[in-house]
Amino acid sequence: MRGREGPNSGITRLALFIALAISCLLISFQRNSERHTSDLGIAAQEVASPLANILAVPLRHFEGFLSGFIERRRVFDDNIALREEVAILRERQARYDNLANKVARYEAILGVDTETDIPLRKIAARAIGETDGPFLRSLLLNVGSRDGVMMGNPVMSTEGFIGHVINLGPNTARVLRVSDLNSRIAVASAKSGAPAILAGDNTPLPKLSFINQPDDWGIGDRVITSGDDGFLPRGLNVGQVVKGKAGDLRVRLSSQTSPVDWVWVSPYKRILAPVETLEENNQSATAQDDEGTQVIEASNAP
Amino acid sequence: MNYLSSRSPIKKARPALIAGAVLFLTSAMTISGLNLFDSRFGFEFLPLLVLVIWPRHANTPLSLGLVWLAGLFTEWATGDITGQWSLIYVLVWGVFRPEMRGAPFAPLGLVFVWGLICLVTTLVLFLTGYFVYGILPDLWPIGRQISLATLTLPLIVLLRRAILRRLKDYDDWG
Repeated sequence: MRGREGPNSGITRLALFIALAISCLLISFQRNSERHTSDLGIAAQEVASPLANILAVPLRHFEGFLSGFIERRRVFDDNIALREEVAILRERQARYDNLANKVARYEAILGVDTETDIPLRKIAARAIGETDGPFLRSLLLNVGSRDGVMMGNPVMSTEGFIGHVINLGPNTARVLRVSDLNSRIAVASAKSGAPAILAGDNTPLPKLSFINQPDDWGIGDRVITSGDDGFLPRGLNVGQVVKGKAGDLRVRLSSQTSPVDWVWVSPYKRILAPVETLEENNQSATAQDDEGTQVIEASNAP
Repeated sequence: MNYLSSRSPIKKARPALIAGAVLFLTSAMTISGLNLFDSRFGFEFLPLLVLVIWPRHANTPLSLGLVWLAGLFTEWATGDITGQWSLIYVLVWGVFRPEMRGAPFAPLGLVFVWGLICLVTTLVLFLTGYFVYGILPDLWPIGRQISLATLTLPLIVLLRRAILRRLKDYDDWG
């Protein structure tokens, strides 16, 4: 293909102008709208994920190689500190076992429902892509709907809660991190049980907002998910309360301390609002009538 | 073509297609990054390196189309603002028009142009992000992305030269 076009011909300039105009138009459509991904976005995510999967292996090796040098320098100091910590923790463990037995006995006597709603099943995944840009904090996981991941599922690392699934392909899932600007999570103080909303603002310390009684919140309190939103189970470890520069209450995220590599997804079924449950029941009944089968029964589950 | 002729040099599809494929590959890489010194160094600026060394004899409309589509692909793959990276890619390609250059960049010129590209990109990211979200951007991730891409720039240029020396149609790729 040999073109006749001049380097600065009218057609080229017009094409350039049209491309710029379309891009500007696409940007303007997203102003003040919620962040969502189109089917094309999910397709692009699926196309790019195999490459990221391949790249992840040498990159993690390279990171390990470099961090190995830094780690080696402080290994002796760490060893002494860890030995002291183990001695303290052993004592605490013994105390914890005694208390756990005591609580279990009390619960048995009182007939308390001790079941947690955090699913026991976990889907292990690798964070093959991480976006840490000027306006976005997200992760790309190498598991998707085929592995049993659902929209809104919480994603955890060994340190704590990372975020929740915001879009889903057959083999990939994108996770909105707690620190992202668009993230709003219902949380509670593990100490007082006081509820609040954890609002991400693209800083490492998201803000605690909608606090009714500030006295219920203290610096150093552990923050967990409250489960009030129905999307996340109660009790996931989020972080610790710290004081912000402006004197407001913020949360130091447990998952922020180390780079994310392996994570797990909790396949938690969200609690449906009564109206939605009713609608789904009707749909289930219709489907059963139509097909004469009793396959659909999950709609009643929480 | 001689010095008095007003005809433009012949533009070929092959260099545009190969450069486009490399651009798409680097765009797909933008979902990855390096975790070093407790910070994340994203690959978002790597596709811009491909635009800096875009072949001068590549077909113009084809190049423009591929550059714009690669920008869209980057946004879809990373979940960023749709239109943001396509605007940046087209703007960078349009401002530093490779087909209008008489010769490939000299090393110092390349560094200067790269600095300008980083400045333009940061400015566009700043403005578009502020327009959509209404907040100022976190500039540290951009700084880390730029520093990683800048460190990669000499490697890319050397690698490109090494590959070109083995090609017969060396002039088409300059």
